[in-house]
Amino acid sequence: MPDSASAPAVLAFPAGRDSRQRLLADLGQIALLLAGVSWLVLRGARSMHYDWQWYRVPDYFVRVADGEIVWGPLAKGMLVTLEISALGLVLTVVIGLITALLRLSQSFAGRVLATGYLGLIRNTPLLVQLYVFYFVLGPTLGIGRFWTGVLCLAFFEGSYAAEIIRGGIQSVAKGQWEASQSLGLSRYAGFRCVILPQAMRIMLPPLTGQSVSLIKDSSIVSVIAIFDLTSEGRNVISDTFMSFEIWFTVAALYLTLTLSLSTAASGLERWLRRDA
Amino acid sequence: MLEVSATSGTKRLRIGWLDVVILAVVASFLAFVAYRVGNVLHYKWRWDRILSYVLRWDPKRGEWVTNLLAQGFFTTMRLTIWGMLCATVIGIVMGICRLSPALLPRFIARIYVELVRNIPPLVFVFIVYFFVSGQIVSLLGLDQFVASASPAVLDAIGFLFDQPKLFTNFITGLICLSLFEGAYVTEIVRAGIESIETGQWQAAQSLGLTRWQTLRLVVLPQAVARILPALAGQLISLIKTSSIVSLIAIQELTFMAGEVAVSTSSVFEVWIVVAGMYFVICFVCAQLFSRLERNLAVARAS
Repeated sequence: MPDSASAPAVLAFPAGRDSRQRLLADLGQIALLLAGVSWLVLRGARSMHYDWQWYRVPDYFVRVADGEIVWGPLAKGMLVTLEISALGLVLTVVIGLITALLRLSQSFAGRVLATGYLGLIRNTPLLVQLYVFYFVLGPTLGIGRFWTGVLCLAFFEGSYAAEIIRGGIQSVAKGQWEASQSLGLSRYAGFRCVILPQAMRIMLPPLTGQSVSLIKDSSIVSVIAIFDLTSEGRNVISDTFMSFEIWFTVAALYLTLTLSLSTAASGLERWLRRDA
Repeated sequence: MLEVSATSGTKRLRIGWLDVVILAVVASFLAFVAYRVGNVLHYKWRWDRILSYVLRWDPKRGEWVTNLLAQGFFTTMRLTIWGMLCATVIGIVMGICRLSPALLPRFIARIYVELVRNIPPLVFVFIVYFFVSGQIVSLLGLDQFVASASPAVLDAIGFLFDQPKLFTNFITGLICLSLFEGAYVTEIVRAGIESIETGQWQAAQSLGLTRWQTLRLVVLPQAVARILPALAGQLISLIKTSSIVSLIAIQELTFMAGEVAVSTSSVFEVWIVVAGMYFVICFVCAQLFSRLERNLAVARAS
């Protein structure tokens, strides 16, 4: 019976009280908690003589000067974050696909290369990788700042994407390969027309999850002075000292991006499962 | 090249066309890098100088002493171990809250997990740092504590955490990391508790145990055994995540590396050595944990 297995085990204990009364009590507790937290924040801010200036925040998105729309630093930073994430995502999938195919290939050198790459990336921090890319590989290969950041993110996320893609390809039953071979398809045609479409269904939800990680991790490029959302936020704070307002705004913007993508991912997963 | 998947099995060492292509590409890449470093950037390698920043021969005392990079490495390890302990405590408390029948604890735990997991680690660390350094550290009175502590206590602090003058700095980093990692441990603990069969709860209930007793005596002991591998993986992830706190001036390995890189201008060597140090510790831990897990599985099966 799938229902009893999926229900949280702890809820197996009876609630004991009238459920409506209980709901009211719960809501009351939450309201009390929220009131308490906001009181603490406000009190803390007052004790450090913090001057709330929420009214100034919208100006850092967009303002109208001389009848013209001027985009503020936060809007520009958001755009750079999206740009880095989008470029990074394309490269991530390319790197992931190549690595996955190399790992599954018969070529000895290919398997060693792919395993070595995965081992190196998996066992070092992203920040240190970024420094290696920026200080060592960037000048060596003559790559600019922006592309160093994008490439570093792509190589980092690509190592995770590779395992997702490999899992997807391997999850397709062996009979499918044999069937496409016996139909006279070449290995490439069999892979493209038979295996990949089926593997896609398994790969897509975790890959969407990986793109959420990519957006989050893209904030790290702010340390090499790429003007993404985090970087712009820090600049605005050092100009205006509105630490609370700007950090909360920046965090809320990231939350909006990541949560909407996660929701899309789980929707996609449900849709694919229903279809299957 | 995909034949392996079709005709499963025999991976023999046989040089195919793909091997030749890959070797050629890798070799030409390395040659290009060597050419750029030597002939275009005219980079002078000084490995001995950087390695002396890891371990240094002290002629006065006549022994090897740890230098900046090794000190940073030890701070990273101490941050990791303490961070994992704190994160486990947070994770168990929040994991139980996550499955509580009451709405309030569920609400708090859910908000905590979703916030931490959906905000970039960098932004999270900056926000927590802003609150922690401004409010909590002074609230705890750590500075006065260190200033008035006896030499024995200071020695203990130096051994367990960091040099006494960096103690508040260390604690700030520790709070950031624990709160961050705690959210991931929460989900591990939750999955562990949920993996325990409903029958265990029902059996405990029919024996007359309360919910809390069931959790403590029946469910958690079984759950802990199941979540240990995931926690070990989280420890490795914490070693890597801890590099983020270098950005709020916690003096661990990445921070020290930045300092050494600036002062010696041997940038290439520093970052290669530091990446190597992280690689070695993470790789060794990963191998160790997977061996332990295998042994555990064998022990359980027999």
